[in-house]
Amino acid sequence: MIEMLGIRKTYWMGDNPVHALNGVSLTVGDHEFVAIVGPSGSGKSTLMNIIGCLDTADEGVYRLDGQDISDYSERDLGVVRSRKIGFIFQQFNLLMKLTAYENVELPLIYQGLPAGDRKGRVTEALERVGLGDRMDHRPNQLSGGQQQRVATARALVTRPSLILADEPTGNLDSQSGTEIMALLESLYLEGNGLLLITHDRDIAARAGRRLHIVDGVIESDSGEGERV
Amino acid sequence: MKFSQALKMAFMSLKSNRMRSFLTMLGIIIGVLAVTMLISTVQGATSEVTEQIQSLGSNLLIVNVMSPKETYYTVEDLEALESRDSIAGVAPVVSRSASLKAGANTTTASVEGVTAKYGRIRNLSLSAGRFLCDIDVTARSANAVIGSETAETLFGTGDCIGNTLYIEGRAFTVVGLLTETKNSMIGSSDNVVIIPITTAQRLMQSKEIPMIYISAETADSVEEAQVAVDRFFLRELGDEDYFTILSQAAVLSLLDEVMGTMTILLGSIAGISLLVGGIGIMNIMLVSVSERTREIGIRKAIGAQRADILTQFLIEAVVLSLTGGLIGLALGALGLSLISTAFDLTARLTVSTAALALGFSAVVGIVFGSYPANKAARLRPIDALRYE
Ligand SMILES: Nc1ncnc2c1ncn2[C@@H]1O[C@H](COP(=O)(O)OP(=O)(O)OP(=O)(O)O)[C@@H](O)[C@H]1O
Ligand SMILES: [Mg+2]
Repeated sequence: MIEMLGIRKTYWMGDNPVHALNGVSLTVGDHEFVAIVGPSGSGKSTLMNIIGCLDTADEGVYRLDGQDISDYSERDLGVVRSRKIGFIFQQFNLLMKLTAYENVELPLIYQGLPAGDRKGRVTEALERVGLGDRMDHRPNQLSGGQQQRVATARALVTRPSLILADEPTGNLDSQSGTEIMALLESLYLEGNGLLLITHDRDIAARAGRRLHIVDGVIESDSGEGERV
Repeated sequence: MKFSQALKMAFMSLKSNRMRSFLTMLGIIIGVLAVTMLISTVQGATSEVTEQIQSLGSNLLIVNVMSPKETYYTVEDLEALESRDSIAGVAPVVSRSASLKAGANTTTASVEGVTAKYGRIRNLSLSAGRFLCDIDVTARSANAVIGSETAETLFGTGDCIGNTLYIEGRAFTVVGLLTETKNSMIGSSDNVVIIPITTAQRLMQSKEIPMIYISAETADSVEEAQVAVDRFFLRELGDEDYFTILSQAAVLSLLDEVMGTMTILLGSIAGISLLVGGIGIMNIMLVSVSERTREIGIRKAIGAQRADILTQFLIEAVVLSLTGGLIGLALGALGLSLISTAFDLTARLTVSTAALALGFSAVVGIVFGSYPANKAARLRPIDALRYE
């Protein structure tokens, strides 16, 4: 459950303020598929980074699962990220020196899971994204679509309650994009919360709810009615 | 995250940059090499000298006289000291370097005039013949006991007992041969000719007795003996400044002090190179942190905590410095064994020196690694992810 009230984030370019988020209030339930759309530079990534605890807001209140995390320190935010959130980025963001297997294993290592328990989970996640036979490949030995599938496996291996994807298909051909979207939707159908940023109308159309962001504010919200 | 896991990660990242890791370690390798070699050599030399001093016998007092006037006491006066309960024996020595000749061979050696007791008091042992006896002294005989080196130069390796040698033109008969002492550091005692003190005084045309060995009855009576000896020479010479009394304990503690200072001095000079090595590690770790900013961002995004990043980089630094330390130690042990054989020293790497060197390199790793590691750990994930 995401609850945001009056979230603001301002960047300063010299003396000129850039209001990336200009008072965003938002509630997202535990099991929703939300597409965030809007023009480039409107603040979508900024919003998602705050939701995912990679960044903090300048103003406003942010509650995740009832916990007010607006004032959390970087240390506490790290714990929230590790336990609750799975990130997928447009640029894949895999560690190039590690194999697919090791990349997917990393979040579990950071959770402190013993090696014996990790193996099954990593294998399961990689098989889930159809890369059971590519576990020992490094990212540079994989296609873009395969790399994004490794990244998806890495996001789901910790069984997070919320999956955040910032233009996950932005760097992919349409075939790979469709495969990744099918994966993400199946995760949503299994009970995960799913928030994704996209410029693709077809993908946005599949979401249960669309947030349209313009100039740092929510201009329209198709799921407005569901708000309590 | 578990420690073993962090260790694995550190090794992986160091392995992927082999050449750089090695060059970074080089400073530590050289530092540890220098520390171990210097300290071990000094320690080896110390223990050797200590052994030699101890072999003089723990009850020994050595009196050196530097009187401006002709001294009054005679050999008989000195021997009267023996009546004291605390004193077991007194051995006056006159000595001078002199030229020797036997057949066609010539050499220069220290000629020592002594009494019969000298051999026992100095713990001298003979490999052939006999030592001088009381009759040699009273009769001013021309008998000599010679050191092994002198014997070899003058007579070759064959038997020399009964042969004649000339000390500044005067003929002496060799009656005894001293056992070879192992590479002495306090003056070679192998190139020596020992003759009766009475003969020597005539040879040197001097009645002065500048050096006296005195052995105390037991180790416990050394102090008492020293008091008696001090009183005797004060009465004879009239001034504290005209003589010094060295006891073995005093020599040993002096040696200890000198060698201790030397160890610290050399150790810290070598330690500076370890510090320089540490700065090298810090430099490379800082480069590594900024190169891997994006990696750090990714790790944080997928759940790494500050402590995870901190330990990862800290372990990398310590692994670098410890591996460097181990290599330096191995090279040091090798170098020491080479030095030992080349210079006939007993410089061995002790466990405490090894532990000191390794401990110090670990500390260097922690100290110089913690700033870069902390810098990495404090990066905000969003800034790190945006970094190109
Ligand atoms: N680190 C930063 N420093 C300065 N300005 C920034 C920074 N990050 C974002 N901005 C500005 O904030 C605004 C919102 O950026 P944001 O990345 O959220 O846009 P976006 O909606 O994700 O755009 P896109 O669809 O192109 O990814 C932009 O005007 C951008 O220039
Ligand atoms: Mg964006």
